[in-house]
Formats: sequence, C-alpha cells, structure tokens
Amino acid sequence: MAVASQDASTAIAWDLPTRLFHWTLAALVLLAWVSFQYAEQIGDFRLRWHRANGVAIIVLLVWRVIWGFAGSSTARFATFLYSPLAAARYAGSLVAGRTRRFLGHNPLGAYMVVTLLVVALAQATLGLFTVEHNDIAAGPLYRLVSEEATKLASRWHRLAFYYVLLPAIGLHVTAIILYKVLKAEPLIGAMLTGRKPVSPSQAGTGGALEDATTADIPPRPLARAALILAIASAVVLGPVYTISGRIY
Amino acid sequence: MASRLAVFAIAVASAVAVTIAVASSASAQNADAIKARKEILKSFGAANKEPGAMAKGEAKFDLAKVQAALAAFEAGAAKLPPLFGEDAKTGGDTEALAAIWDNKKDFDERFVKLAAAAKAAKGTITDELAFVDGWPKLISENCSSCHKLYRKPK
Repeated sequence: MAVASQDASTAIAWDLPTRLFHWTLAALVLLAWVSFQYAEQIGDFRLRWHRANGVAIIVLLVWRVIWGFAGSSTARFATFLYSPLAAARYAGSLVAGRTRRFLGHNPLGAYMVVTLLVVALAQATLGLFTVEHNDIAAGPLYRLVSEEATKLASRWHRLAFYYVLLPAIGLHVTAIILYKVLKAEPLIGAMLTGRKPVSPSQAGTGGALEDATTADIPPRPLARAALILAIASAVVLGPVYTISGRIY
Repeated sequence: MASRLAVFAIAVASAVAVTIAVASSASAQNADAIKARKEILKSFGAANKEPGAMAKGEAKFDLAKVQAALAAFEAGAAKLPPLFGEDAKTGGDTEALAAIWDNKKDFDERFVKLAAAAKAAKGTITDELAFVDGWPKLISENCSSCHKLYRKPK
C-alpha cells in the first residue's frame, strides 16, 4: 500500500491545525502589510481591511498559545521550550558542522518560534491603539489611552514592523533555506505535508530524530482546533467589542 | 615674504567671511520658507482636527467646520509649492524629505490636485452621508499619500 510505505519512511511531525495556523499567519502578516501599503489603491481609506486583518492575527495567536497547551506533542510549549544551555549546545553543534535532527522544533528553532509569536502578538496588539496620522482611521482601543500614548503606539507599530518583525521573519526564512541547502532538511515540505523523513539517509545528512519518533496527536484534532478557535475568538473579540462597540 | 603672507591671510579671511555671509543669508532664506510652509501645513492639521474627530465618531457632524477646513486646504495649497524651493531643503526642524526635490514635479502637482479636490468637495460634501465616505477618501488621497512619500515618518 502506498500509504503504508510513506508511513514507514516518514513520521508525522506537525498536526493539520498547526500547519494551517502557520500558513494562515504567514498569509495574514503579508496581507496586513499589503492592506496598509496599498490602502489608497484598493479604496480602503479607513483601513478596514488592515484593522480586521490585525484583529484576526491576534485571534490566531491566542489560538496558538492555547494550542501550545492543548495541541499535539510537537506543538506543545512544554515539549519544545528547551533551556538556553540546550539551545547553545545545539548552536555549537551546528557551528561544528554536526547535524542533530529533531522531529519537532530543534532547541534553537524553538526560540525563533517563540520570538516570532511574541513579536507578532506585540505588533498586532500595538495596532489596536494606533491612530492613522491624518485621523481617518484608528484601532478599536485607541480611546482607552491618551493622545500621546496613541502617537507612541502608532510610532512603535511602524518601527516594530520594519526593525523587529521583518528582520525576525527574514532570519526565520533564511534559516529554513539554509537547512534545506546545507543539510537537505525538507522543513518547508514538513510544514506542508506534516511529515519528516525518519531515516538519516533520506534527510541527506545527520543522525536519527532525537526528540521523538512520531508526534502524539489528540483524537479529532480539527474539531478540537475549531473549539479552541471559538474560545480564542471570544477571548479577543469579546473585550474589544465590549470596550469599543466594534470588533476591529 | 611678510606682505605675501599678509595678502594670503587677508584672502583666506575674506573667503571665510564671504562663506559665512552666504551661508547665513541662505539659511535665513531657508528659515523663512520653512517656517511659512510649516505654519500652513500646521493650519491644515488644525483644520482637520474637528472633521477628524467627526470621522472617528468622537464629535457630532458639523458641516460648517468641514467646509471651513476645505476652504483652508484650498487656500493653503496654492501657497505651498514656492515654499519648497531648492534653498529650503534643510534646517528649521523641517520634516520634508529629500524625495520632494527628486520628484519636484509630482510634489508640486499634488498641491494643485489638493486645491482642486478641496474645491470640488465643498460642492459634494454637503451632508453627513457624503462626509462619512468622502472625507476619508479626500484625506487619504491628498494628505496621507503625500506624507507617506515626502514627510519624515512620525
């Protein structure tokens, strides 16, 4: 059976909800930029798209935080939050040219993931308090803070994008490409199919998977993910609507 | 030898004096233009304050204030292009970007467009319904788009 032979050579690394989360977040971050940069061209003068997009990103990130406790093994923080020492050791082995392979995030990659989640959440949250500099659009929570604070939030929202979020995304993408080119690790493929090669020979270089041989996925992952999405939506949209009378 | 040295010293001193005089007169010229344009643009900001509050739903719609802002935009726009001369690129805490002088034709045309748009809006934004859609469009197309290209980000 074709499926069986695929199962033998590859192992499940990422559950479907985690993969959907990843690519949806990537798409929404790109759209957040497009919807701001080209707001005038698309006739969205009040930045409706950009604002809705930002709130959607917050919902998605809250979903990911909950999934980090209730999702499958490789998505759980408890599984992939390594100590700084472990990350340093891993970095050392990278520099020395030794390839250590992981089913889930490697100790260094885990820090990249946490950084991206924190930075994206901070960036999107700042957006809630911003006011467009000619007063034609504002985030839903801007009235909670002073005019000075909205100006600061608006400034940081711009600076954080160019000087923190973009460099972090650049680092992430560069690392993924280097793993592919230098170590023949098909990380993009794994995030698409959910599977990683089991044996070292299929991964080009390196040894056996260190952390686990297969991801432990809870029953009915999609239904579980949908329920968590409902919770995340309520957690984010509830307070925003209560405070501002609108959801974005 | 001593007289040669004296001539040289005088020449150097005069060159320095002339440089200082030219530089200071140039910066004085700069300062006036920069100050004048800043005042006009600040008056745009002040005129936009009330309509901006209306656009964000903070203030009740007031047609008179909207029309006053449009009149301020129209009158001010005509005065702005000459205040961005080649001698007024820097100084006076200007937020003007060098891109203005790299694209001077486009920059100047934007003020013509602003004046025309403000004039037209005086005829079209005559009630709250027209304001709700028309105001953000006017400000986005004429203020925000220009600031994005030509003003130092806040």
